[in-house]
Amino acid sequence: MDYRNRYVNGKGRYIDDIVFDNMLYMSVYRSQYGRAKISNVTGGLNANDFNAYYKSSSGEMASLGAKDNKNVYLEHVFATDYVNYQGQPIAAVFGKTRYESEDLLNEVKVDYTPLKAISSIDEALNGEPVHTGTENNILASHELGKDFNENDIDYDIALEDEFFNERIVPNPMETRGCIAYYKDNMLYFYVSTQSVQSVKTGLIESLKLKGDSVVVIQADTGGAFGVKGSFYPEYVMAAYASMKYKKPVKWIETRTEHLMAAYPGRGAKAKIKIYAKNNGKITGVKGEVYVDAGAYDAGTGSFASRFIAFQLTGPYNIENAYVKAISLVTNKAPMGPYRGAGRPEAAFFMERMIDLLADKLKMDIADVRLINASEKPFKSPLGLEIKEATRPFLENALKEVNYREVSKKEKAGIAFFVLIPASRPGESARVIINHGKIKVYLGGNVHGQGHEIFVKNILENELKIRRDFITLENGDTTMIEKGVGSWGSRSAIAGGSALLYVAREIKNEVIKKYGEYSPEKLLSGNFDKYKFIEIDYSVNSINFNMITSSMDKNGEITVDKWYSYYDLGNVLSEMNVRAQIIGGAIEGIGQVFSESLRYSEGQLMTQSIADAGILPANHIPEYHIKWIENPSEAPNGAKGLGEAPTIGTPVALVRSIELNTAIRIRKTPIEFNNSILLE
Amino acid sequence: MMVNIDVNGKEYKKDIEPRMLLVSFLRDELNLTGTHIGCDTSNCGACTVLMDGKSIKSCTVLAVQANNHKITTIESDDPKLDVIKQAYVDENGLQCGFCTPGMIMQTFYILENNENADEEYIKKNLRGNLCRCTGYKSILDSIKKAEEKMKGEISVSK
Repeated sequence: MDYRNRYVNGKGRYIDDIVFDNMLYMSVYRSQYGRAKISNVTGGLNANDFNAYYKSSSGEMASLGAKDNKNVYLEHVFATDYVNYQGQPIAAVFGKTRYESEDLLNEVKVDYTPLKAISSIDEALNGEPVHTGTENNILASHELGKDFNENDIDYDIALEDEFFNERIVPNPMETRGCIAYYKDNMLYFYVSTQSVQSVKTGLIESLKLKGDSVVVIQADTGGAFGVKGSFYPEYVMAAYASMKYKKPVKWIETRTEHLMAAYPGRGAKAKIKIYAKNNGKITGVKGEVYVDAGAYDAGTGSFASRFIAFQLTGPYNIENAYVKAISLVTNKAPMGPYRGAGRPEAAFFMERMIDLLADKLKMDIADVRLINASEKPFKSPLGLEIKEATRPFLENALKEVNYREVSKKEKAGIAFFVLIPASRPGESARVIINHGKIKVYLGGNVHGQGHEIFVKNILENELKIRRDFITLENGDTTMIEKGVGSWGSRSAIAGGSALLYVAREIKNEVIKKYGEYSPEKLLSGNFDKYKFIEIDYSVNSINFNMITSSMDKNGEITVDKWYSYYDLGNVLSEMNVRAQIIGGAIEGIGQVFSESLRYSEGQLMTQSIADAGILPANHIPEYHIKWIENPSEAPNGAKGLGEAPTIGTPVALVRSIELNTAIRIRKTPIEFNNSILLE
Repeated sequence: MMVNIDVNGKEYKKDIEPRMLLVSFLRDELNLTGTHIGCDTSNCGACTVLMDGKSIKSCTVLAVQANNHKITTIESDDPKLDVIKQAYVDENGLQCGFCTPGMIMQTFYILENNENADEEYIKKNLRGNLCRCTGYKSILDSIKKAEEKMKGEISVSK
């Protein structure tokens, strides 16, 4: 059955729908303080029973080349001595029902000595170190590009500004959850995830288990947006408890826990200075990029600042660039990826400077972008490789969205940006044909993007078989030997290419066996093919958005029209493309208007999913979706998509809004107090 | 305490704790897992069901409050619900599927109560149901399609 038919009938099998006999429900006792010394922990399972670090060693940033950091910043599964964020796990309790396990939380006792908490990037820079034994709150610091003296470069005008994107926790509609089931010396671990492989690696490392004694199976996954690509301490607790109590153990996160303890993304700040000629040509960029990495090096925090800095100059060919990238420790949950994961931040910082330059020089925002776009491929001083001329793309984009006409009548903002997908190191696919049915497994696990649709398109095209014979199965480490994950706009490129390869191999096998290919011959036989396709290059793409908005007499902003001109390479499914675009666009709109996690003195002020700013259905602009298909060098010619709307939307929308309000925007979500009027 | 709750046309007599939420009753006691828990604070609507035809959030209603009432969930075989479900499939009005049962139950409520629900009315009445994947456009298209189909069927039967 098509996954959609299952879901509309309430027949999804999400993690909380799976029940085993004698199952225990786990609830987690969490720190009430942002920072405190703890002692005399009693009740439940705690660090006195199990004292170990956990590592989130794979995941999105790892597939972009990040490495782990020093032990002093690692988080214990159960806190010992200190807690460093509100929501940090201290103990776990287990009941026969969910209600009983929540009651048992009352039996956990902890003595807290509250300490002053670091709640922001500025406090981290200026305050005392969060971790004892460290000199400051710098988790990671890198310099990208080559420093330059401004007297040595050619410029007429220098502009400086500061920007901030507040933290956002991904908030999929289904929270995190898992069931650990230890039996016959094997750990079966069911989980809502983007990557069964990264969960398996995490369990093996944290519990020091043998690789062949752990099986990770993906449940239907009710959205993820980055938050289910990470590895979490709760997984280790559930697995440990199942081994200890010899019973299946289920943990389902509450939304309150999600807001406190799931890994949030964004949380990035930048100081940028640009040097430009009076014709708008930028000759130099200097910057400092900071991320709020949270209390521990568990997610993406140590690498995220470098990833933002690396792509700061985007599609623009700028001769001189030098950026400091600094990840800071704060008393908040560790940072992780949220759809876009550094890409929206980089584009926001650079594009805001370009708009500022246009205003100062009284130039059109499109013309400043055109003069800085490139006539030929180039490598930025920060290391970003752009394999095509970006100026012709921008000229076409402006024409295709009719920018010159629209911007005369409406408040139009634009975004011109690069999407760097996490295509490395490749991905795997497996196809099993048995009794006339075709089962497909991908190394990156679907979590609401509708991969089944493009999977069916690929197999229908290559093998001429009917769609209803094909199913995409959930992730299962016994079915896929080596897999990466579904994040970083990589699924069509990496997973799609692996599947295409396997489909062609199977076709060749049929020809070898029968002398010719026909779908009937294929379906009458038994085939089982697996392949990991290596991709050791980045499949960057150039993209463009335009957004118009209007303001009523009460100052309320309406997003009117949303335009895209994206280069998607070979498109695998138009339906998937539209769904990814419109779904990503509203997340970008949400970032601008409301989405955030807000802290004060280490205490989380954001108390519900509504408070976190998830937009309801009344924010639907008119969509004008256009794309082109310049094939990439990936085997199937695909390029990235999923994160593109989350990059372009905030950039174009804040410009459109500031044209309405005449107040310059430097922050998401937007705030109009303490702002300055546009000159 | 004993409750007698009609769920999708079938009566269930159960001895339950007074504090049990209706959503737990449906999911844990009756194994009707199509009704989901998304937020615990009645913001997200993933747990939306109908009580005597009115949409409610089953995560903030006690099962005892449903005693002697009629509950309709996504598992109901009401033919009108089938029309709505098919419209969601046709218009790709779902992605991860987690908000979908709540969305469909709210759609059922909207269309049962307003034969001429226009876009503004639908959007307004969907405010209590959050979706993180679709950006709502395909959901809106699904509801409009279901509305058209229902109208078509009514005029044929007349």
